[in-house]
Amino acid sequence: MADDGNTAVSAAIGDLADPDPARRAAAAERLCQAGERARSASVDLVRACGDADESVREWAVAALEAIGPPPPTLVPGLAELATARSQLVAYWAITLLGRSGKDAATVLETLTQCVASTDLAVAQRAAWALGRIGPAAAAAVSALRDAASRGDERLTRLATESIAAIGA
Amino acid sequence: MGGKHPDPSRRATGHGRRWFAVACCVMLAAPAAAQQPGGPVVKPWDAVLIASFNIQVFGESKMAKQHVVEVLARVVRKFDIVAIQEVRAKSDDIVPGFVQAVNADGSRYHYVVGPREGRTVSKEQYTFVYDTNRIEVDASSLGVCPNPANAIHRPPMHVRFRTRVTPADQAFTFWLVDIHTDPDEVPQELDALTGTFQAMQSLRPDEDDVILLGDLNAGPPEFGAFRRIPGVGWAVSGVTTNTRRSKTYDNIVFTRPATAEYLGMWGVLDLQNTFGLPLDTALEVSDHNPVWAAFHPCESRQPAATLAGQPPVVR
Repeated sequence: MADDGNTAVSAAIGDLADPDPARRAAAAERLCQAGERARSASVDLVRACGDADESVREWAVAALEAIGPPPPTLVPGLAELATARSQLVAYWAITLLGRSGKDAATVLETLTQCVASTDLAVAQRAAWALGRIGPAAAAAVSALRDAASRGDERLTRLATESIAAIGA
Repeated sequence: MGGKHPDPSRRATGHGRRWFAVACCVMLAAPAAAQQPGGPVVKPWDAVLIASFNIQVFGESKMAKQHVVEVLARVVRKFDIVAIQEVRAKSDDIVPGFVQAVNADGSRYHYVVGPREGRTVSKEQYTFVYDTNRIEVDASSLGVCPNPANAIHRPPMHVRFRTRVTPADQAFTFWLVDIHTDPDEVPQELDALTGTFQAMQSLRPDEDDVILLGDLNAGPPEFGAFRRIPGVGWAVSGVTTNTRRSKTYDNIVFTRPATAEYLGMWGVLDLQNTFGLPLDTALEVSDHNPVWAAFHPCESRQPAATLAGQPPVVR
């Protein structure tokens, strides 16, 4: 993976769908080791966070931690996963949308929906992500104000910081 | 690649030994760390080697790779204490199994491990692996640092250690605080760690040595509020610490004059160079290289050796 570039990343993406959990885990590990070069696998790695196998999930999470912002073309695909039932899938989809900054303004409605999630980790991450969008997230300020009043100290802080970042 | 002494087996010379003579009034032999054939690593008597190592996704799949476990064990045997980040497994057998592998050569390492931390279902644990021949732990001191406002994703684990290579009444005692920051909230977490560090400084009136170490996901230029802690400095500076040799993420942070035991020696143990590994194999071990610093085994009130970010001590 160190020198093979896009071909190896593409092959690993294909292996993430393999019926054999060991092959899926190995693929997630290879993508993890690819670092930022695996950005094109962002959606696939987020989806892998919902895998039934623990090793697949953990390698996918580790890969996503190090992968940086996704390519802008993947924003719609990530938005589809942001409302997934799996906490880990939703959390990481939202995290990558947050890293996308202004590019995630096109999926503002989805992120605004997520900030009202009953899962606090998801709601907190959505509040953070909206702030990363900046002024283009002005339509989410009302939802952020609601979030700030839910009584969770961290959610309140993140929502308040994001409102400030949006400039409302 | 690395710091002043990329390989901890390269012994203290000059500055470190002179400081030792002043501080402890006892001159001990300083044998070079060496691997005895078929036996454990022999470490120097006049330095305690403390390391930090983010072992990426340290779980069942990594433990299943014998060649990876062997490299990890060889890393640990070079140091007296290794603060490890990223134990990720539902099983409780990972760390005990690893320490068993470390001790396969006759070494006598043990460990303390913290609770699973994290906001999602994906959790991590901190662990300290230490050489019981040279280090002992205050079992009652193991804890998780307070985390006001839930500011830190994985609140640090703290443990108090004491060296065993000198008489107990002269032994260097110190807190180690193990941390792995969230890469998406680094500035906020570093700000929060400022409070954590200062809280640790006052946790026990009889302990002034607080050493925070781990994967900060930031180099010194990004330390922000952390720089405002009086006397703060860091061992690792001006070098990369990740396996790809592109980023400075890991460090060992403490203050002076409190931690006068710092010998001014530190390094990055480059996995590729040290073990002759190609990048692919080194990345199987981890995406981080271990970082380390050397401390005197005797408690001292002498000024510490120069820390990065701090001017030299003038006496």
